[in-house]
Amino acid sequence: MSGHMDRLVIVGRDAPLWLAASVVAKALAPAGVMVQAIELPSALTVSDVYASHPALEALHNQLRIDETALLRTTGGAFSLGQNFSDATARVPAFLHAFGGYGSAIDGQDFFGFWLKARRYGLNVPLDDFSLTASAARQGRLLIPDDDTERYARSDYGYHLPAAAYAAYLKSVAQTVGVQAEEASSVAIDRDAATGDVKALMLDGGRRIDGDLFFDLDGALSRDTAEWLDWHQYLPFDRVAVARGERFRAIPVYADERASPTGLTGLYPAQAGTYVVHGWASGLCDDNTALGQMAAVAGMPLMDTTVRTIAPGRLANAWVGNCVALGAAACLLAPLHDLDLLALQAGLVELLGRFPATAAFAAERQDYNRVMAGTYDHLRDFQSLHLVLARYGGTFWDKARGVAVSGELRHRIAQFAARGEVAPWEEDTMPVDSWRALFVGHGVAPETYIPAVDRTAPETLKTQFRIMLGFVKDQVLRQPTHDEYLHRNR
Amino acid sequence: MQADQGTSQSRLRVVIVGGGTAGWMCAAGLSRLLSPESYDITLIESDDIGTVGVGEATLPHIKMFNDMLGLDEAEFMRETSATIKLGIEFVGWDHPSDRYIHPFGTFGEPWAGVDFQHSWARARLAGLDVGSLQAYSYAVALCHANGFEHPAADMKDIRSTYSYAYHFDAGLYAAFLRRWATARGVRRTEGQIVAVGQATDTGHVDVLTLKSGTQVSGDFFLDCSGFRSLLVGGTMQVGWQDWGRWLPCDRAYALPARRAEPLTPYTRSSAHAGGWIWRIPLQHRTGNGCVFASDFCTEDEARARLLAAVDGDAFGEPKLLRFKAGRRDRAWAGNCVAIGLSSGFLEPLESTSIFLIQAAVVDLANLMPVPGQGVDTRLADEFNRLFEIHYDRTRDFLVLHYIANRREGEALWDYVRTMEIPDSLAAKVELFKSSAVAPDYKLGLFSRDSWLAVLEGQGVLPTGYNRLADAMPLDVLERRLADLRNRISDAAGKVQSHASFIEGYCNARRTGKGAAA
Repeated sequence: MSGHMDRLVIVGRDAPLWLAASVVAKALAPAGVMVQAIELPSALTVSDVYASHPALEALHNQLRIDETALLRTTGGAFSLGQNFSDATARVPAFLHAFGGYGSAIDGQDFFGFWLKARRYGLNVPLDDFSLTASAARQGRLLIPDDDTERYARSDYGYHLPAAAYAAYLKSVAQTVGVQAEEASSVAIDRDAATGDVKALMLDGGRRIDGDLFFDLDGALSRDTAEWLDWHQYLPFDRVAVARGERFRAIPVYADERASPTGLTGLYPAQAGTYVVHGWASGLCDDNTALGQMAAVAGMPLMDTTVRTIAPGRLANAWVGNCVALGAAACLLAPLHDLDLLALQAGLVELLGRFPATAAFAAERQDYNRVMAGTYDHLRDFQSLHLVLARYGGTFWDKARGVAVSGELRHRIAQFAARGEVAPWEEDTMPVDSWRALFVGHGVAPETYIPAVDRTAPETLKTQFRIMLGFVKDQVLRQPTHDEYLHRNR
Repeated sequence: MQADQGTSQSRLRVVIVGGGTAGWMCAAGLSRLLSPESYDITLIESDDIGTVGVGEATLPHIKMFNDMLGLDEAEFMRETSATIKLGIEFVGWDHPSDRYIHPFGTFGEPWAGVDFQHSWARARLAGLDVGSLQAYSYAVALCHANGFEHPAADMKDIRSTYSYAYHFDAGLYAAFLRRWATARGVRRTEGQIVAVGQATDTGHVDVLTLKSGTQVSGDFFLDCSGFRSLLVGGTMQVGWQDWGRWLPCDRAYALPARRAEPLTPYTRSSAHAGGWIWRIPLQHRTGNGCVFASDFCTEDEARARLLAAVDGDAFGEPKLLRFKAGRRDRAWAGNCVAIGLSSGFLEPLESTSIFLIQAAVVDLANLMPVPGQGVDTRLADEFNRLFEIHYDRTRDFLVLHYIANRREGEALWDYVRTMEIPDSLAAKVELFKSSAVAPDYKLGLFSRDSWLAVLEGQGVLPTGYNRLADAMPLDVLERRLADLRNRISDAAGKVQSHASFIEGYCNARRTGKGAAA
């Protein structure tokens, strides 16, 4: 048998580093794996924020992170979804809620019934059947219980001020046995024959040997691995971050406002309101973009930083004995807040085939196959938003013309034809999320699942009435976001 | 608003060609899933054309199909002379002296946050005597004990860790579904099709002419005509992908015999030098057959092997069937969809033919054209994508049974051991050898546990495992493995016999069904 994988070295910075190190140490320290984190200098400013999808809560639970303490310490807030609006108010807004929409009728998925009812004149938006969407509109949280779970998923994400969240996770990492070293730079000692990483030299001095290396920064991967450029799919190449005052009543969702030259996201939290603006430098210079950002945000902004981004992914995230994760493996656009989700997907797949010994060529090949598909579907989720968007302006004119993958083209055709979301093995987005995007952008499927017609129209009407009543009652029982945050301080 | 809904002109006319298992499963499934106000279903069958009817063993999914129809299990079992199937025993597939069971159940329990086989592989590689994976399956223990009871509802109970399928008389099942479907509005037309009419502009099939001169018009046609593939292979001329290089068996002799004791709750598949022999116990008879590759085995040899293997008085003479492994390039072409043998064929090694019909019916119900709209090629594309996934994944699983054998010196087995295999399968086998990770996909047939059963059964053993499995001290792991083995054998020893279960639950002889078959 080949040598055991006893020493795992993780290089990165900020929340992704500590999240990855904590998750891996929690899972593998009991099995005798030593996890060594190498912390590079923070790249965060006071204006950065991490916005998460519901999956993060499950990861926090594994790490025994106390939600109340987390939100209090970081000044964070809850999020029930993403509201997409038009800064020029010509295109109606829609919510991509994190929970499910409606409940099954006669064992059949809700969505087909809604399509049918629409055809027969029902004028109730899909959002009204979603507990999370309805709660979000009313500034209320939705704390799931048995009744709501029977109805539909009611998940939530967070808006977490980045520096505070990173510090919080760093303390968690220490409690689960992560060894940490700081370094301002790392040099790589590679095996001349295999190209494998043998060790890292920190700041030209201390040497850290390892059996397997995780790269969350790009330092170990960018030079040796093939990078697939996605600018033809995702035309963003500039991002600015800034922050403003906190809202007096903190909205329980992110607001993504389209303006003619880009997209401005507002992330409300207790510590302030975080603003992220993405655009394409070829269509808009930095000063104009920053002016646009401030105008769209509608509040005085401070601590603004502009960054260059280049969306894409590594052709193979795992090369030799080095696995790239998070932004080192796949860089997405500032849209839908998918970054932590992509990191989490990579961690889950790695733990699912974490090798006991150095003979892991097959695991590596399989991991690369699965992650290529996972990252591509996440990219497709973003490019779907761009090709469907009806907003005016130079950026959106370009966005509508971006490249569409074969899978996405098939997906769009299926939804247009029947309102269904075609299944793929490596797609990690919930079906309800794809549907929220399609419906929100105004796609009206031509037909619905025929089985829906088996249910009598009276049954349908009754069920709809019951659902709408249930959603209304449940939402009214919920605390407002502010009440809940205050109560749990 | 479709104001004219409900009148006969506005209904989509679906014509099913062929009345075997595929035709009647389509008729029953679609009449359950579609609204009679929107769909008008006709099935054409001819009493002069026999059905193949080798599919006498099923997979647990059939229960979902029956439940969807709302069938009463005991009545269905009585009517089809059915018995319980907990898995398949493979005899001599790896080495002539080896045997293993592919059970419809799980292996072990996840410990330390990782699938069971990693803990098992770790213990094995550490040199502990922990036996085969087979010892960690309750369904395998039930098979050895020839026992059966319905699975326990409590998910923590070891007696909940399996599902089951049936052995039944496929002819009686088709007849049972025929009664069910015709009682619910499916029209049955007797006759042989002598001409297929196509629309000149689209090339779509629009009318079938029967021998009697009767014409049957339709909007949408399901080709359940068997190997003939009258509409999809014939009229639409869709090409065929031949998989004979991976699955060389191309013939079978079938021979029913008198029921033998004990009544096993599993199918047996015994390898021989030129193929394999099936044994399927029903209430009133045992189905036997000898599958063989004509490149490696003569018809006389196959016939003699079958006659020697039959345990019970045979009914009549062996009947020869010919087939080719493969599938159509597409199942849906124009306004015709091939379902069943017209769409593809895989040898009955894992009883997949009825499942493939079922999957097609469920997919089709979702993707059917709606009245008043023509055929939507976008929906056909999705149906064909799913069809490929179903067939190709099933093919890989079947090929797996052949590639890792140790039957050296036998031409068929030497060939399949050394042939080039599909890349998709090679990657799965390599991953398992390296890491003990078994395929676990959402779309398509065969769960992780099925792959585990056959990989280990064929002697493919992991040389590594997920490091997470190292969390438990080795002596603790050894004790827990022994405890699990004991819990399984203790529980299985207390279960009533399969024969007495059948007797009490669904005895066919009491109603006289199937007695004359």
